[in-house]
Amino acid sequence: MSINNILTAVIAIIAAPILGGLLFGIDRKITARMQNRFGPPVLQPFYDFFKLIGKQGIAVNQTQMVYVLGHLFFAIGALVMLVLKQDLLMLMFILAFSGVSLIMGAMSVRSPYSKIGAQREIMQMMAYEPVLLLMVVGVYKVTGSFMISDIFNHDKPLLYSLPLLFLAFIYVLTIKLRKSPFDFSTSHHGHQELIKGVTTEFSGTQLALLELTDWIDLVLLLGLISLFFAKPLWVGILIALVCYFFEIVIDNISARVTWQWMVKITWVAGIGAALVNIVWMYLIP
Amino acid sequence: MDWYLLLAAILLPALSAALCYILKNQKLRIAVVSISTLLLFAVAGGFIALMINSPEGKLVFQMDEHVLEIVGWLIKGLDFLLFCYIGYIGIKHKKAIVLVLTVLQFIPWVLFEIFGVFGKVHEPEQAFIIDHLSLIMIMLVSIIGPIVTFFGLGYMKEHEHHLHLKVSRQPRFFMILFIFLGAMNALVMTDNLSWMYFFWEVTTLCSFLLISHDGTEIAIKNGLRALWLNSVGGVAFIIAILMVNTSLDTLSIQAISNSGMQGAFTGMLPIALGLLCIAGFTKSAQFPFQSWLLGAMVAPTPVSALLHSNTMVKAGVYLVVRIAPAFAGTRLGQLVAVAGGFTFVAASAIAISQSNAKKVLDYSTIANLGLIICCAGIGTRISLAAAILLMIFHAVSKGLLFLCVGTIELGIGSRDIEDMQGLFKKMPFTTVITVIGQISMLLPPFGVLITKWMAIETAVHNPLVLLFIILGSALTVVFWSKWIGIILTMSYKPKYHVEKLSFSIRAALSVLIALVMAASIGIAPLYNQFVKPQIVAFNIADKEMLSGTGMGVWLEKVNQAVYGGFASIIFFGVILILMVAIPIITNRIKPARLKPPYLCGSNADEDLRGLDFISPGDKVEKVVVRNYYMESVFGENKLTFWLNLAAGAIIIILLGVVIGL
Repeated sequence: MSINNILTAVIAIIAAPILGGLLFGIDRKITARMQNRFGPPVLQPFYDFFKLIGKQGIAVNQTQMVYVLGHLFFAIGALVMLVLKQDLLMLMFILAFSGVSLIMGAMSVRSPYSKIGAQREIMQMMAYEPVLLLMVVGVYKVTGSFMISDIFNHDKPLLYSLPLLFLAFIYVLTIKLRKSPFDFSTSHHGHQELIKGVTTEFSGTQLALLELTDWIDLVLLLGLISLFFAKPLWVGILIALVCYFFEIVIDNISARVTWQWMVKITWVAGIGAALVNIVWMYLIP
Repeated sequence: MDWYLLLAAILLPALSAALCYILKNQKLRIAVVSISTLLLFAVAGGFIALMINSPEGKLVFQMDEHVLEIVGWLIKGLDFLLFCYIGYIGIKHKKAIVLVLTVLQFIPWVLFEIFGVFGKVHEPEQAFIIDHLSLIMIMLVSIIGPIVTFFGLGYMKEHEHHLHLKVSRQPRFFMILFIFLGAMNALVMTDNLSWMYFFWEVTTLCSFLLISHDGTEIAIKNGLRALWLNSVGGVAFIIAILMVNTSLDTLSIQAISNSGMQGAFTGMLPIALGLLCIAGFTKSAQFPFQSWLLGAMVAPTPVSALLHSNTMVKAGVYLVVRIAPAFAGTRLGQLVAVAGGFTFVAASAIAISQSNAKKVLDYSTIANLGLIICCAGIGTRISLAAAILLMIFHAVSKGLLFLCVGTIELGIGSRDIEDMQGLFKKMPFTTVITVIGQISMLLPPFGVLITKWMAIETAVHNPLVLLFIILGSALTVVFWSKWIGIILTMSYKPKYHVEKLSFSIRAALSVLIALVMAASIGIAPLYNQFVKPQIVAFNIADKEMLSGTGMGVWLEKVNQAVYGGFASIIFFGVILILMVAIPIITNRIKPARLKPPYLCGSNADEDLRGLDFISPGDKVEKVVVRNYYMESVFGENKLTFWLNLAAGAIIIILLGVVIGL
C-alpha cells in the first residue's frame, strides 16, 4: 500500500459519513415537503448522532457492541475497497459480511421484535445478494476484469452495455436502503407491528454507530451506481443522485409489502432482468 | 524410494486396527489410538518433507516386477474376498439390490482381471505415484482422520454410556476407523486404477459397517442404502476400468489425467471418464445420490465427521479433480460443472428448511462437494486451484463442525438448532469454537468464501453454472446466519458454567480450530507450497493463473495483468482484533447499565433475560421466537423428488453426451 492509497482511504473514511449524513438530512427535508410538512434542518442527522453518542449507555447483553462495530468496520472495509478500486466481487462479499454482522447483533438478544427483524433482514439479503453478484458478472463481461480500476480504464460507460442490470441494481437499492415498500426489517415509526425491527434493542452509542454505518452504506451504494457512468465521473455521480431522489419518491408513494412478495418479485424480475442483460452480453463476441 | 513411509501410511493404520480389535482394554486402546495419531502425523510430515526435497514435484515408487505381480495378485485376492463379504451382507439383510450390484461388479471383474477376456490388462509399472494432489489428500486423511479418531475416544465412552451397552463395541468401531484411514491413504497414493477400485470398495464397505455400527433397525437400513448407492458407483467404476484399458492401453491414473491434451479424447475414453465422474458423484453424494450421506447421520459423530470431511466423500471429488484435466474444456467438462453447480444450489436450498443441526451440516457438505465438482468441471487452472483449496478448507472446517455438534449434543441432549439458544452460557468453550467454525464456512476472509469467490470469477464463461453458483451462494448465507444468530443469542450477564469435556474432545476441537485458522490465514503460502505445483503440473491449455503474493491471492492473465484479487491478510487483522474485543467489551460493561429486552407487553418480573411478559388479560406468557425455515418453499419433502428428477436428467444427458462424443 502506497502513501497515496492510505491517504485516499483516510479521506474517504472521513468524507463518506459527512456526505451520507447530509444526504440523509436532505432526504428528510424532501420527504417532509412531499408530505406537506416543513421538516427538520438539513443538519438534523448530525444533531441526532451527537445526541445519541451522549446518551447513557444501555445494553441488553454484553456482546451487542461487538456486532455494531463489525457492521461498521466492514462497511468501512467495503468503502475502502471501492475508493482503492479493488476487486468488485470481494467488495460485495464484504458488504454482505457487514449485513450478517447486523443480523447477528439483532439475533443476539432475546427480543421478539429484533429477532423477527433479523429474520426479515436475512430474507432481504437472500433477495438482493444474487442481483449484486450478477451485477459484478455483468461488469466483468464488459471490462474483462473484476477490478474496479479497470472500469475506469474502460473507454465506454458501462450503462450503455448494462441498462437492464442498472435497473435491477436500482431496484435492489430500495431493499438495501430499507425504503418503502421494502422496509419490513425495520420501520420508520416506533409504533408499528415490528417497533424498529433489527434496531429495536440498540440504543445510545450503538444506535449512533448504526446510523453512521447507514450513512457510509448510502455513499458506498451511490458510489456503485456512479460506476455505471465512470467516464466522466461527475455524470455518474449526478445519475446516482437522481436515483437517490427517485428512491425517496418511491419511499413516499408506496406502502409496505410482505417479505414473501418481495423475495418472489426480486428473484423473478430482478434476477430475470439482470440475466437477460448478461445473456445478451454473452452473445456479443 | 523411501518405501517405509509408504508402507507406514497404509499398513500402520491396518496394524492399529488389528491392535484396537484384539486389545479389549480401554486404557490400552487409548494408548494405541494416541500413538497411532502421533505416528500418522509423522507420516504426513514425512511425506511433506520428501515432497519439498523432491526436484520433479512427485514421488515415484517403482516395484520389482515380481513384487508387483505378487502385490497385484494379493489385491485381486482381497478384492475377491470383498465381493464375497458384500454379497454375504446382501443375503444376510435380504437386500436383493446389494447382491445384484455386487454380481454386476463381480462378473466383469472376474472376466477382466482373472481371465483377461477384454484384452491384456495393462497394469502400470509405477504402482504408487504421489504428486501434490495426493500429498494434500494424505495430509487431510492422516492429520484430520487421527484427530477425529482421537475425539472418538472420549465421545464413544459417553455414547455407549447413553446406549447402556453391556459389552463395549468400541474395539470393532476403532478397528474399522483405522482400516478406513489406511484404505483412504492407499486410494490417493496408487497410480493403478484397478487398485484404486479395490480401495474404493473398501471405503464403501467401511462406510456401511460404520453407519450401521449401532445395530439399530434404522442404522442398518441407512447403512444398506449407503452400500447399494455406492455400489452403483462401483459398477460404473469397473466398467470405466475396462474401457480405459482398451482405449489407452494403460491403467495409469496419471496417463488418464494427461490424455486430454494428447488428442486421445475419442473412442471409448469419454464414456470411461463420464462413468468415472458418475462413480465420483455417488461417492461424493451428489444429487440424485445424496440420500446415503443424509442417512449417515444416524452413525456416531466421529463417523459423520470422517465421512463428511476428509475420507469417503473426498475420495469422490479427489477422483473427479484428478481426471479433470482429461476433459477440461469439453462438453463433458461443461456437464460435470452443471451437475456440480446444480447440487450446490439444490442442497443449499433444502438446507434452509432444516432445523436439525446435523442435517444442515449434511446439506452444506453436499453443497460444497457440488461446488468442488463444479470447479473441476469448469477446468481452468484457477478453477482447479479453487477446487483443491476448497477440498482443504472444507475438510478442516466441516470436520470441526461435526465434532462441535456432537459435543453440543452430548452437552444439551439435542441437535435441534432451536434448542441451542443461549448455548454460550452452558458451553462457552464449545460455543466459541463452533461459531468460529461456522464463520469460517461463510464469511471473508476465511478460505471457504475465498474459494467461492474464485469459483464465481472463473465460472463467468458458463452462464448456467454461474447462475447456480450465485443463487447457491445467496442461499448459503441464509442458513448459516440463522444458525449463528441462534447460537450467539445471549441473555444478560450469564453465569458461565465450566464445561466438563474429556481431554480427547477438548484436544481435538482445539487442534482443529487452530488448523482452520492457520489454513485461512496462510492461504497464500498454502497455495504456493502445495496447490500451485499441482496446478502447473496439470496438463491444461488454459493460460490464466492464480498467484499468492502480497498478503493475498490474485487472478492473473497470461501477461500478468491482475484481473481480480484480494488481500486477505488485512481482513484477518480486523477479524482478530474483533475476536479480542469481544471478551474485553464483555467484561467492561457494568451490570447497572444493562436492561431487559423489549417484549410484547411489560416484562413479567425483574429477570433481565426477558423470558416472559404480561399479555392482555394479565396472563403471563412465555416469549417464543423461532427462525424462519420456510418449509412450504424449501421443505425437504417438497423439493427432494423434483431435484432428484432434474439431477437424474443431468446425469442422463451427461451419459448421452459422452456416448455421442
